[in-house]
Amino acid sequence: MQVSISWLKDYIDFEESAEMLAEKYTMTGIPVENVIRADEGMEKVVTGKIAQLTAHPDSDHLQVCQMDVGTGELLQIVTGAPNVKEGQIVPVALVGAHLPNGQKISKGKLRGVASNGMLCSADELRLDLENLPEEQKTGIYILSEDTAVGVPAKDVLGLDDVVLEFELTANRGDCFSVFGLVREAAVLTGNVPKWPEIKVREDDAAKAADMVKIGIDAPELCSRFSARVLKNVKLGPSPAWMQQRLAGAGIRAINNVVDVTNFVMVELGQPMHAYDYDEVAGHSLTARRAVAGENLHTLDDSSRLAKGDELVIADAEKAAGLAGIMGGLETEITEKTTTVVLEAASFNGASIRRTARACGLHSEASGRFERGVDVTKTVRALDRAAQLLQDMGACTVTQGVVDVYPVKKEEASVAFTAEQINQRLGTEIPADKMTAILASLGFGVQSQGGGYQVSVPSWRNDVSCMEDLSEEVARIYGFENIPSSLPHGRVMQGRQSDVQNFTDKIKSVLAGLGMNEELSFSFTHPSMFDKLQIPADSPLRQAVPIMNPLTDEYPLVRTTLLSSIFENTVRNFSRKNEDIRLFEVAPVFYPKALPIAEQPREVLKLAGLIMGRRNALGWNQGKEEVDFYDMKGIVEELLAQLSIANYTVEAGEHHAMHPGKTALFKKGREVIAAVGEVHPAVAVAFGIPKKMFIFEMDVKTLMKYTAKGFHCDLLPKYPAISRDLAMLVDTDVAAGEIEQTIVKNGGKFLREVTLFDVYTGKQIAEGKKSLAFAIKFQSGDRTLTDEEADASFRNILSAVESKFHAELRA
Amino acid sequence: MEEQIAQLTGEAQAAIQAADSLEALDGVRVKYLGKKGELTGILRGMGKLSAEERPKVGKIVNEARAALEEQIAAKNEALKGAALANRLASEKIDVTLPGRRVPLGHLHPLTLTLNRIKEIFLDMGFSVEEGPEIEKDYYNFEALNLPKDHPARDMQDSFYITEDILMRTQTSPVQARTMQSHEPNSPIRMIAPGRVYRRDDYDASHSPMFTQVEGLVIDKGISLADLKGTLELFLQQIFNDKVQVRLRPSFFPFTEPSTEVDVSCVMCHGHGCSVCKGTGWLEILGAGMVHPHVLEMSGYDPNVVSGFAFGLGVERIAMLSYGVSDLRLFYDNDMRFLRQF
Repeated sequence: MQVSISWLKDYIDFEESAEMLAEKYTMTGIPVENVIRADEGMEKVVTGKIAQLTAHPDSDHLQVCQMDVGTGELLQIVTGAPNVKEGQIVPVALVGAHLPNGQKISKGKLRGVASNGMLCSADELRLDLENLPEEQKTGIYILSEDTAVGVPAKDVLGLDDVVLEFELTANRGDCFSVFGLVREAAVLTGNVPKWPEIKVREDDAAKAADMVKIGIDAPELCSRFSARVLKNVKLGPSPAWMQQRLAGAGIRAINNVVDVTNFVMVELGQPMHAYDYDEVAGHSLTARRAVAGENLHTLDDSSRLAKGDELVIADAEKAAGLAGIMGGLETEITEKTTTVVLEAASFNGASIRRTARACGLHSEASGRFERGVDVTKTVRALDRAAQLLQDMGACTVTQGVVDVYPVKKEEASVAFTAEQINQRLGTEIPADKMTAILASLGFGVQSQGGGYQVSVPSWRNDVSCMEDLSEEVARIYGFENIPSSLPHGRVMQGRQSDVQNFTDKIKSVLAGLGMNEELSFSFTHPSMFDKLQIPADSPLRQAVPIMNPLTDEYPLVRTTLLSSIFENTVRNFSRKNEDIRLFEVAPVFYPKALPIAEQPREVLKLAGLIMGRRNALGWNQGKEEVDFYDMKGIVEELLAQLSIANYTVEAGEHHAMHPGKTALFKKGREVIAAVGEVHPAVAVAFGIPKKMFIFEMDVKTLMKYTAKGFHCDLLPKYPAISRDLAMLVDTDVAAGEIEQTIVKNGGKFLREVTLFDVYTGKQIAEGKKSLAFAIKFQSGDRTLTDEEADASFRNILSAVESKFHAELRA
Repeated sequence: MEEQIAQLTGEAQAAIQAADSLEALDGVRVKYLGKKGELTGILRGMGKLSAEERPKVGKIVNEARAALEEQIAAKNEALKGAALANRLASEKIDVTLPGRRVPLGHLHPLTLTLNRIKEIFLDMGFSVEEGPEIEKDYYNFEALNLPKDHPARDMQDSFYITEDILMRTQTSPVQARTMQSHEPNSPIRMIAPGRVYRRDDYDASHSPMFTQVEGLVIDKGISLADLKGTLELFLQQIFNDKVQVRLRPSFFPFTEPSTEVDVSCVMCHGHGCSVCKGTGWLEILGAGMVHPHVLEMSGYDPNVVSGFAFGLGVERIAMLSYGVSDLRLFYDNDMRFLRQF
């Protein structure tokens, strides 16, 4: 909704500047988004006549103009525009002008010829190109021949008005009209509106009711349908004042009949439609539901097949328009029209909204119906339109209104007490102040018992309870006058859930381990499943599809965080960030069944990726790249920090990981973490020719195994005995298994096993590797003897020897 | 004898002076004062002296010895000092070379911002609630007084999964879920942070996914003034003590009265700049008194309790706090960006 200050001033006086009024509107809940000053930048633009035009001596496209700008002296200006001729009157930007398009005009020379200003085009003045004839859209803007010379161009171009652009909220349908805004302005300024007298002379003997039949077949979608018939219609342009008002409202002038319906719509908020009476088959108009498959041929000359739930206005033969959205092409007002049926109706907002969305047709009318129009005022709108056309001498008005209004709207009534409202607002506003505010807004206030009974004005469809009245009181009283307090009542303990605390802990531990948290969209693309080598029958491919995705890029909701982590890695890599350490904790979404019938399961996952240098580039830093064991170490430390112990680690499989470099961390049979090098084929699929290492975990699973409560080990009182165990085993023997065997056979004094050396190469036979463990024995209640330690150690030795055919080394 | 001692002492003194290392000095000590040293030799030869001479010579020798020991000790100190100075000089390094840093990782700026928001509300006794991101239309809209075909639904263009299931467009559905999980009319103080989704084009100020924090306070006698005070306290903590807070009447279907909450621009302190588009104010969140229909639909009685609710955008606060002018930086996850936080 936008409206010019001059239109408002037609109906109310105020001293406030446009900006001040805009502020007052905004602070009372009628938000003004912009104050548009069309004359901005027009200060030094005047009308000028091209007194003389000569060719530029040194250019074949420039011309030298001697301009009469009303100063008595001619002003020389060089122009490159081809459409200028001697005698034309054009807008001239004088030296010092700062044009609406940002251009600054200064003295200059063009190919040696002095130029003291500029002739302007419509675009340079930021005129509304849409409303201009084709020939005026390019080249210098040519003014009409009788334009005065030397006057400010803004006056001639109609740019002297200021327009308020409102960003109205969905509840205030009444403010989608000049009347509604004037009503509010009256409360804000304290001034009394000067409403126009709406009075029509029925000067044609014909009776409307004899000429046209009006019907409502779908009363749930159309609560009132009123019509007037105008005869002897003379189509022509509407008067300049009306065109200007409409331009201020952003509506293009078309002809007097259409302009009047638009004018009344903006003025009163009641959308209207004009039909060519002679084209209305059977001279009958009925509001009914469309028949499925019925052809809807609208004003924009497009045809649609009805789905069957649209409300249409139909004549005896066909749908003559989409009710409240757009009229039909066949009954459009044309040069041949002599008799007009004017429609003012009240349609169901929800239905209009559905249809407008389905057809992609949002009009000034549909926007008003969606928010609700004042059903009691249809006849007033017809009278106003008839009056305006009659005053222009453009028609005669037949007798009466055909008005179908099956169920009259009852006046809404709301009770309140001052105490209720003060309690809701936390204020101490006196009751008489409240009633004065409500009365000023058009509410009828009656004292009743200890409180009040309020009748709601017909245009305020949004008010139906005490809480609504409290808002009316508060917004006029001023939100800035509401005091500040803090909720009292019982003290409450703020807390997070265990999962939230656990998630926070994961994030902070990983950040401490040098990992950086990413946040990414929950969307993905099916091609990701192939890139990640997810097997064809894997449930991970069963992703939730979005019915109306934003782009083809993201039609699905992700089932794995790896898709996001690789997307971020690829983006970083393409930007030459090749040292990457990323992790994300976020939900993925598993449908219970496809197609979706109920909400999917949301499962909180954790994934990470590292690649590139182990250390930051530096003069004293190692240059080596990260490897599998860096990533495994991060996972081990994370698990330790999360108090998860006594898990096993074994070689395993994961769709996106290198088959020989995948470790599964397990509690019993349950996998709690997968760590591995990215499968080379996956790396190729993502176009990254470097080694990457990833992990994937499930947060709730981790949480299941975190130790509850924590007790520290007290420091040992008795000394420990250490033994080193070095051995040769086949290269494919897993160190983890040897370690488990040591632990299992170490006896009750075994405290610690640390693998401190792994070696292959010189002096070690082909197919063998050397492993060395440091083993520590200790007792909690006495000093251990060497004999006891040796006995345990021998058990370990024999177990390792027999199980792994280990060759012990000195 | 005395002469001999004086001569020996003289020689020894000269040798001490000449010693240029700790080893040389020790050689001097051994030569004169050692077990077989020359001065020690005199003492040893004192048996041959008469009983009168003995104490006299003994005294002279001991005095000479003490003097020499003192000189050796002093020289020893001097040599040690010189050696240390030498060593220190030779060990000098370039302290301007960069140190060997152990880099920590970084939490995402939105997580950091959200953590601050959570802390402030946890301190005020709010619990932290959650709800599903793929939500029923009922919770996302209907239970919030937004029936189907309500024009206010246009404010939030949604990603639909089915006719009745969608990616939640706001964290507000957690309001209804929280109320329904409570005993009717029991007090609530909660925030619900989370991701929300809207069908907005991805640009410098819009994203199809972003982060919201919902807030809900319900109890007997909760007023608009309580909302104002609570949000003032929060905004002053999250920005600074001096920010001014302004409420503007607005419309949300689930609150009545509804308000937009502005803070004085944290960039220009209200003087007007490009961030606040010259107005001196920044729109920061939407709020209001919970609509009686919303209470009723979730089993609360609006005649018994009242409440306020608010919703704020975490990205907005993070952008203002960290001076981020393009929202896409948050979701690009560029390492150079992430490592700054």
